[in-house]
Amino acid sequence: MGTFIQQVINGLTVGGIYALIALGYTMVYGVLRLINFAHGDLCILGAFVGLTMLSGALGGGHPGPALVLLAFVVAVIAISVAGVALEFVAYRPLRKADRLAAVVSALGASMLIENGIMLIWGPEVRVFPSGLLPATTWHVAGASISFVEVMIIIVSVVLMAALYGFVNHTRFGTAIRAAAIDQDAARLMGINVNRVISSVFVIGPALGAVGGLFIGLYYREAYFTMGWTYGLNAFIAAIIGGIGNIPGAMLGGVLLGLFNAFAAGYVSSSWQNAITFALLIAILLIRPSGLLGERVAEKV
Amino acid sequence: MMRRTLPTAAIGAVLWAGCLALPIFLDSAWISIAAIFAIYAIVALSQDVVLGRAGLYDMGHAVYFGIGAYATAVLNVGFGWPILATLPVAIVGAALVGAVFAAPIIRLRGDYLLVATIGLNAIFVLAMRNDLGGLTGGSDGIPGLGVPSLFGLQIESQSALFWFDWVLLGVVLLVMRNLDRCELGRALRYLKQDQLAASTLGVDARRTKILAFALGAGLAGLAGTLFAVQISTVSPSSFVFTESVTLFAIVIVGGQGSIPGVLLGTALMFVVPQIFREFAQYRYFIFGIAMIAVMVLRPQGLWPRARLAR
Repeated sequence: MGTFIQQVINGLTVGGIYALIALGYTMVYGVLRLINFAHGDLCILGAFVGLTMLSGALGGGHPGPALVLLAFVVAVIAISVAGVALEFVAYRPLRKADRLAAVVSALGASMLIENGIMLIWGPEVRVFPSGLLPATTWHVAGASISFVEVMIIIVSVVLMAALYGFVNHTRFGTAIRAAAIDQDAARLMGINVNRVISSVFVIGPALGAVGGLFIGLYYREAYFTMGWTYGLNAFIAAIIGGIGNIPGAMLGGVLLGLFNAFAAGYVSSSWQNAITFALLIAILLIRPSGLLGERVAEKV
Repeated sequence: MMRRTLPTAAIGAVLWAGCLALPIFLDSAWISIAAIFAIYAIVALSQDVVLGRAGLYDMGHAVYFGIGAYATAVLNVGFGWPILATLPVAIVGAALVGAVFAAPIIRLRGDYLLVATIGLNAIFVLAMRNDLGGLTGGSDGIPGLGVPSLFGLQIESQSALFWFDWVLLGVVLLVMRNLDRCELGRALRYLKQDQLAASTLGVDARRTKILAFALGAGLAGLAGTLFAVQISTVSPSSFVFTESVTLFAIVIVGGQGSIPGVLLGTALMFVVPQIFREFAQYRYFIFGIAMIAVMVLRPQGLWPRARLAR
């Protein structure tokens, strides 16, 4: 029983992170029908920006939690700006072009960011400083949950609820949903679609930066190829939930986190990724549009 | 149609024949780069069959390249087969695996197919790393491949390997050229333009696409054998996702369905980095910028396919 609860806690923590990152993939896909391959790398860029804040100012005797909060604010702002710039430079000129041109541009952006991180912060694994957050650990029914885990789960839930409310219950959220359904019709209704697209490249990367920094604080390390590993998992989560579907990304993230946590107990870790991909392919074959997506399979 | 494409093909044939003389002028390092160009050109052309001509978003094409290389390495090192005897196995094996993978996933819509093939690539690399069946040698791969011998002639020197690779590239180029004129190529072109209309004209979309996938995979398997012979070691790191991305990008950057475009793309993505070895650290950073720049400035590719008269 204790290990079961422990796996649930681990799964929810990682699942929350996946969900935060998955939202960025799914929102961009919803509006532009583009897989933003650079999203995972943007998130990890957020982790590195946060790391620089955390390790740079440590000598100043700042209290840990305030410093962590500051790191989050700076990372979120920096990555939002990067996200908007990415859209403006790499995706906007290709909106009317062949879809594959945008895919290759996204792959190029991913390489650019990943290797930019390597050039700035070096190719080695960077360790996050310890002692910034309370080391408290609670014990519940034979399982333990740390302060960081509680923080990740609560913040993820709050952010997702806020996003859900924003998209479903505000004027601008309605505009986002309208642009996702039909850009031309949305334009005819007086919606500034360019602003909607820019906003998606603010919200997604902002949530992703939080997720990236969570990864750093949870695993206490960051390295430049991390964007591929975690980005891919988050992306799979978005697809499992039904890409383009916001609640789907949340559901997919949590499910994938739980699945990975439980699989880790039974499957050798060297096969872990293969299991995740096998699950993905199985889901695509049974429900090509994900758990919550509409059916859009090609009839061949 | 003949009048428009013949001159380019003739120029291409002359260029290819001219390139055969390269080993006379180049030193051995350059000969090996030129040989590797031929190998990657074959893989890139095979990716073009699947992506550019059939319009199937395959982002795991390095798998079939890898299957060919591993088939040759396992049969040669593990079972003592002569290299040339492994060649048909590499081609047919890769084609079969391609067809078997493609059959269930081919009905997925573009982006979903892309994701499924990324998944297949990750599973393939993990399987090789984890020493599947005790045959693939784990992360270090399989070293010490033999030398192909043709009619008792050992293809051992770098120049001999170069000719071996370039002759096969010539064969593949011929196949690609004929693909445009044969039934399969025509069916693929119609399917890409309008699947519904093609289906009503009696084109079996599913069968045609699986056939294209098998053809692309088989050609990649052929290149896999050449690759294994060229570097005489086969390891998982040569067939990772990044390789698939590069192949995918070559076709889009060069120009879908365009033979000169794909060759130009191959030269840019695989040969130029060899020249700037000392800047290896910046390689992918610059690659990234170049990929964005080319797409933004020339979304149709550097050397797009000439419009064929229908």
